[in-house]
Amino acid sequence: MQLHPRFFGQNLRENLVSKLIKDVEGTISGRHGFVLVVTGIESIGKGLIRDGTSFVTFPVKYRCVVFRPFKGEVLEAVVTTVMQHGFFAEAGPLQLFVSNHEMSDGMEYQAGEMPNYTSSDASVRIQKESEVLLKITTVSVVATEIVRTISITLFTMQLK
Amino acid sequence: MSGEEEENAVELKIGDEFLKAKCLMNCEVSLIFEHKYEHLQQVSEDPMNQVSQVFEKSLQYVKRFSRYKNPDVVQQVREYPLSFFSFVRVYMPYDFDRILSRHQLTEFELCVLCNLCPKTAEEAVAMVPSLKTKGRAHSDEVIEKMLNDLSLVKRFE
Repeated sequence: MQLHPRFFGQNLRENLVSKLIKDVEGTISGRHGFVLVVTGIESIGKGLIRDGTSFVTFPVKYRCVVFRPFKGEVLEAVVTTVMQHGFFAEAGPLQLFVSNHEMSDGMEYQAGEMPNYTSSDASVRIQKESEVLLKITTVSVVATEIVRTISITLFTMQLK
Repeated sequence: MSGEEEENAVELKIGDEFLKAKCLMNCEVSLIFEHKYEHLQQVSEDPMNQVSQVFEKSLQYVKRFSRYKNPDVVQQVREYPLSFFSFVRVYMPYDFDRILSRHQLTEFELCVLCNLCPKTAEEAVAMVPSLKTKGRAHSDEVIEKMLNDLSLVKRFE
């Protein structure tokens, strides 16, 4: 963590912690996934002055909650957009996409005001706001902004 | 994304880091988030403005998909098994940590099971295929027993 000298003084630790939180919460890494919330500071090491500047770098060890999707994992998601070639769903900050090729046979796309996928016996319908259970087949990190996955539907539950 | 070994939750190949880390269920994460949100409310008038979109979406998600609603139950059952059950005269010391060790589950598997609450062994194996692998060879009966243990915990809500 780098800190400008104007933050030094009595509130150094507080400033360090709040800068850490600001810098780290809400970010994504390929290795750890989404950093959701910092839950504690384990240690703050000695500061090192960076050559040629007045900035000081502090090594900070902290605990946090991360959300990391794994290939093969099954999780619940909410459908956000339904299109002809598939539907988008969200599991918190994670964007998922299910292509129509990966849905079970018999699921047909129905266009209209509320586009949806309906099973051949009309017992299952997937539309916006439906809660679905998905198994992740691929995970990719796109420009470190969104982690996108492609998944297969296992079974669905409709939101009443 | 990972190094040499291909990641795959089906076979519990999620990397040492994550196998050793503490895994949280949606309801537990919900508690942590609410705690943070309350803290933000104390220091600012408009807390939702202070948090990232990632946090906001995650908060909505865990709230929506929390299976164990009562925060006291969640906290106590996870951390203080004996004190929670002290008022219960019947011998029923079921709690998550015991379920973990009794059935040799990893935290990851336990959390997925608690988040999704499968009703049958077939559902459970579809959601957590590693139950049948990793040399533990859980039979359907054993899995049903495990699911039963988990649902007993829920009954104390």
